[in-house]
Amino acid sequence: MRARILAVLAYIGAAVTLLIAACVPFVLMGVFSNAVAHAGLHLDPSYSGGTIVRTVAHSGYQMDVYAPVRPRALQQVAAFVQIAFRPVAALPRHVSEEIDLDGDGQPDVRVSFTVPADPHARPSGEVVALNAKYQSFTMPGNYSFSEMMVQSGGAVVVRVPLR
Amino acid sequence: MASRVLTRPPALRSPAFRSIGRSVLLTLPMALWALLMFTPSFRQPGRNLHIGALLVILFMTALFFLMMRTGKTYRWRRYFFVALGLLFPVGFIASLVAVRGTMSIPIERMVSGDTPFCYMVIPMLILPAAVTRTIIFPGSILPTASNPHSIAIMIGLWLALTLVVGKAWCSYVCFFGGIEEGFAALPKRMKIRKLDPRLRLVPWAILLFVVVLSAALFEPVYCMWLCPFKTVTEYPAVHSVTTAIQMGIFITLFAGLVVVLPYLTKKRTQCAFFCPFGAFQSLFNKINLFEIRFDREKCVDCTLCQTSCPTMALSAESIREGKTLLNCMKCGACVDSCKKSAAVWHLKGTKVALKPERARLLFLYGAWAMATMFGGSILANSISTIIGFLPLR
Repeated sequence: MRARILAVLAYIGAAVTLLIAACVPFVLMGVFSNAVAHAGLHLDPSYSGGTIVRTVAHSGYQMDVYAPVRPRALQQVAAFVQIAFRPVAALPRHVSEEIDLDGDGQPDVRVSFTVPADPHARPSGEVVALNAKYQSFTMPGNYSFSEMMVQSGGAVVVRVPLR
Repeated sequence: MASRVLTRPPALRSPAFRSIGRSVLLTLPMALWALLMFTPSFRQPGRNLHIGALLVILFMTALFFLMMRTGKTYRWRRYFFVALGLLFPVGFIASLVAVRGTMSIPIERMVSGDTPFCYMVIPMLILPAAVTRTIIFPGSILPTASNPHSIAIMIGLWLALTLVVGKAWCSYVCFFGGIEEGFAALPKRMKIRKLDPRLRLVPWAILLFVVVLSAALFEPVYCMWLCPFKTVTEYPAVHSVTTAIQMGIFITLFAGLVVVLPYLTKKRTQCAFFCPFGAFQSLFNKINLFEIRFDREKCVDCTLCQTSCPTMALSAESIREGKTLLNCMKCGACVDSCKKSAAVWHLKGTKVALKPERARLLFLYGAWAMATMFGGSILANSISTIIGFLPLR
């Protein structure tokens, strides 16, 4: 009797599996994808740059300053602050600006770069630290997640390493 | 009696396992499914895509028909799987080159979340996501114009497919496995016969290693350092000694585990002895209803099944117990090779070998439906890409 009940349950299970298979492209995939999308997950800030804390509007373009990103315990990425100038199309050929990164009213770095005509090319320029909290660098140079000056997602993204 | 059975020539299963009419009837639902899956492709503009979709519908339906007609599974599944393994990189690389002009992924693409999500990273995401709600992958959570293969879409797809196929993912869905299955199919005989069975444990060790290390370092360690398939998909742009070393590791592992060793051993060595995702996926064998079992009354311990298993998912002990090991991916190689029909498809909860063909059909409808939906769409896109390269008017 037990074996018979088990067998019936097994066939019901197999039928349910087939039903699930039929639902995958029409319902299930979307349901699961939505569940993942709304699970409150976020990308690691070493990839995304973190959250925008301040936006400065200029004529035709804006500059977003992000919150400092600090590595977790054993993470290899060094601490940095991201700045994004967008949209690239509205940027002047040459940008040079003193920027307050920590919101204390004093400029922390001077960022200068030339916007290349090729949308895939990397801008050349430099970041000059105006105080000891930040590090200066010149591009082209060594690109890393904590030190870069690139065109990405319709913006010129600059990551300034923290000391 | 036993010795008489052993000395008899093996009773080969008839190639006409079913009549044509019955095989057509059993294939009909799968043909309709294939049509349903590719109807959207015909609504899109582009003659090449239409040709690709049509070829895939015919290909997948024909293979399913042959499975029904001959009663063999592995033999026909392999055509699909090798085609998937060979064509996926072609389509993928072509789309990368079209979009960015290179297979390498530059840092700006990672920062803008344009890295297509690969399911291999899933086991490494779980711990950081559970503890800190952070995803340690440079993709985008929601699909974007530049990255339709977003994290949410691909994890959703993986969850849905895993519910249906479980560990059979590795033999019906994984577009990487087909590459080594292709190389394993090339030689007539094994060049290396003796393989240490303890090698089966290596994927579990690598799984543990990459999961723990990824959680500690907050980066997908396997993708950064160990994935052989970076060689035929995309890899971080080589701009330093570190990235050059990474690239060297990818190429060495690909050449060794995906090309040379499968050729020498006729096994899927990357899957059997290395892949942490495969080990992770094995856990779903515990909840999936379908499995391979051995009818001990018919089994003559000839070990043909063990020799034919591409992932060493059988041991003498497991066969004596009438079971496969946890890493069985339900490819059907052992069932196809068994000359005594002792290796059978089985639905958990039912009596072993009572209705093996019914169990096989129930499994195959689900697995082939998923193969057609997922692998089929990859095949159609790749075929359409290849046609685009041909000098046709």
